Formats: sequence, structure tokens, C-alpha cells
Amino acid sequence: MIPSTLRITLILAVLCYFIIILYFLKNKALNLKYTFLWLLAGIVMGLLVIFPKLLVRIIRILGITSNMNGLFIICIAFVLMILMSLTSIVSRQNGKIRSLIQEIGILEKRIRELEEKKD
Amino acid sequence: MEEKKIKVLIIIPAYNESESIEGVVRHLTSRTSKYDYLIVNDGSTDHTLRICKEAGFSYLDLPINLGIGGAVQAGYVYAHKNAYDIAVQMDGDGQHDIAYLEDMLRPILSDEADIVIGSRFLKKEGFQSSHTRRIGIGILSFLIRLTTGKRIMDVTSGFRAVNRRFIEIYAKDYPTDYPEPEAIVTAIMHRGRVMEVPVRMRARESGTSSITMRKSVYYMIKVTLAILICRLSYGFRRAGR
Repeated sequence: MIPSTLRITLILAVLCYFIIILYFLKNKALNLKYTFLWLLAGIVMGLLVIFPKLLVRIIRILGITSNMNGLFIICIAFVLMILMSLTSIVSRQNGKIRSLIQEIGILEKRIRELEEKKD
Repeated sequence: MEEKKIKVLIIIPAYNESESIEGVVRHLTSRTSKYDYLIVNDGSTDHTLRICKEAGFSYLDLPINLGIGGAVQAGYVYAHKNAYDIAVQMDGDGQHDIAYLEDMLRPILSDEADIVIGSRFLKKEGFQSSHTRRIGIGILSFLIRLTTGKRIMDVTSGFRAVNRRFIEIYAKDYPTDYPEPEAIVTAIMHRGRVMEVPVRMRARESGTSSITMRKSVYYMIKVTLAILICRLSYGFRRAGR
């Protein structure tokens, strides 16, 4: 089992985590769309800390023998998932920026031609 | 019978080509006046833009550097918006000779091909590139043959002509970093008829290739992956002839 002092630390950490997310959301520094994965990760972490038996059972099912290792592996899995989604967001934005730059170039040419015609 | 006038746009991507761009365009306009051309200044840091302005060339000015793929695509987007029938892309460094333009347009006009690639290896004339580079091109050519079943010799040639249908496809979907080989796969996956036409190329007038020796290993790995992913992303759709 997880020692109770560690459990208290972890509960506080999860609370901090939620406060930071809510703070960002309140200040509109995060789009809700991109926050779902973070919130999901927080809820799972919270559940696992509050109900450590659940954690132990999941860890056994996964074939991990040490509880602490299990906790780390679950955390790392979430971090990887979030990173992957970030990369996909960046890639998509990259495509959008490319289209915008091309569009600006085409509009600039059109404006130039219209102004030349006017003179 | 009066022939319907076809609109052809020659796209010339230019990134820091201040030394050669004027010569290329002057040569082009002296040879053919019936076709439009469009320089795409890809956020150059030298005087490319000033030269285009002062000479009164037709140009697009991209505010930020996009790389060759994005610049060429800007030309295709422009061609699509202005309802061109054929778009031709050629490099701004003087490698490609406009004298072959008619040879490249012919298969498209007679509807034998959707995409025509100017190939320096079909007749093995003119500048043939270095030995190591030819090996690299051979490997990529083999890879494209393996994944699509289509044999293309000069897969990195940036001298191409495409018809209206592929102007639209490329305006929407054109690869980025080192786009030439990947664009061939994209074309074949859209059941495009790709044809090679022999051309002579010159050694570049100025500037360096976008592919230096140091980058060439990265280039090979990247393009190999890109071809495989491009092939996969179109699923099991069968390649056209």
C-alpha cells in the first residue's frame, strides 16, 4: 500500500494541479478544447489517490509489481498522450499558418495591381 | 477552327535568388510572351524582392519564409484562383531551360498526361548532377516504384507541368520540406498520369542546392519516410497507370 503521508502529499499535489488549470481557464489562457485531456488526467490521478485499492488493482492487472512504479508509469503515459496531442495541434496550426501566408501573398499582389490601376 | 486559348502559368519559387532571378525571367519573357509567369518570393533575406519590384516582374511576396513546398503551393493556389489551365513550375536559379516548355505542355494538351516531369536522365544529356546525388535519386526512384508501381527516373526534378485537375489538388495538398518526390506519390495516389519528358538541365547559375552534403543523410531519411507515410495515408487505393 501507499504510505499515508505520501497519500496526503499526492492529494495536495492533485489539488494544486486542478487549481492551476482552473486559474488558466478563468484567465482564458487555455482553450477548454485543449484542456479536456489535462482535466481527465487530473480526475484519474485524483481517483487513484483517493481510492488506492483501485490503483493497486489496476497495477496488478497491468502486471506491474511495485505500486510506486505503477503510479509513475500511469503519470508518464498521460504526459506522453498530452505531448502527442500538442504535437498534433502544432502540426495542424502549421498548416493553417501556411495557408494564411499564401493567402496574404496573393492578396498583396491583388492590392498592388488595384493600386497601380488606380494611379 | 479557332483554338481555345489556354491559360498557362509558370511558377518560379525564389528564395534568395537575387543573382539569377533577373536573368531567368528575362530569358523566359524573351522566349515566350503568350504565357504568364509568377515569381514566388519566399521571404528572401536578400534583394530578390527589390529586383522584382524595380524590374516590374509579376511576383507574389510571401511575408514569411515557408520553404520550397509552401512557396510552390502558393503558386498553385494562385493558379487555381485565377482559373489557369496549366501550371508549370521551374526553379529560379537558371537550372531549367524554358526552351523545353512546349515539349512539356504537349502531353498535357493532348490529354496524355496529368503531370509532366522534365527529366534529365531520360536522354542523359546536359548537367547530370554528382555521382552521389544520382545514387540518392536512384534509391528514391526505386522506392516510388516499389510503393506505387510507377517508374519515374528523375524524382527530384523541380521542372514540372500539371493540368487543371492537379492544380486544384496541389493547391489543397502539397508536401512541405523536400516536396518533389512526395508530390509524385501524391499525384499517383490521385490516379494522376505522370509522364517524363527528356530535358537538358544546366548547372545552377548561382546559389547552392537546398540539399547540401551535410543535410543529404537527413534528406534521404526524411524523404524515404515521407514517401512511405504518403503512400500509407492514401490507404489501399490502387495506383493509376
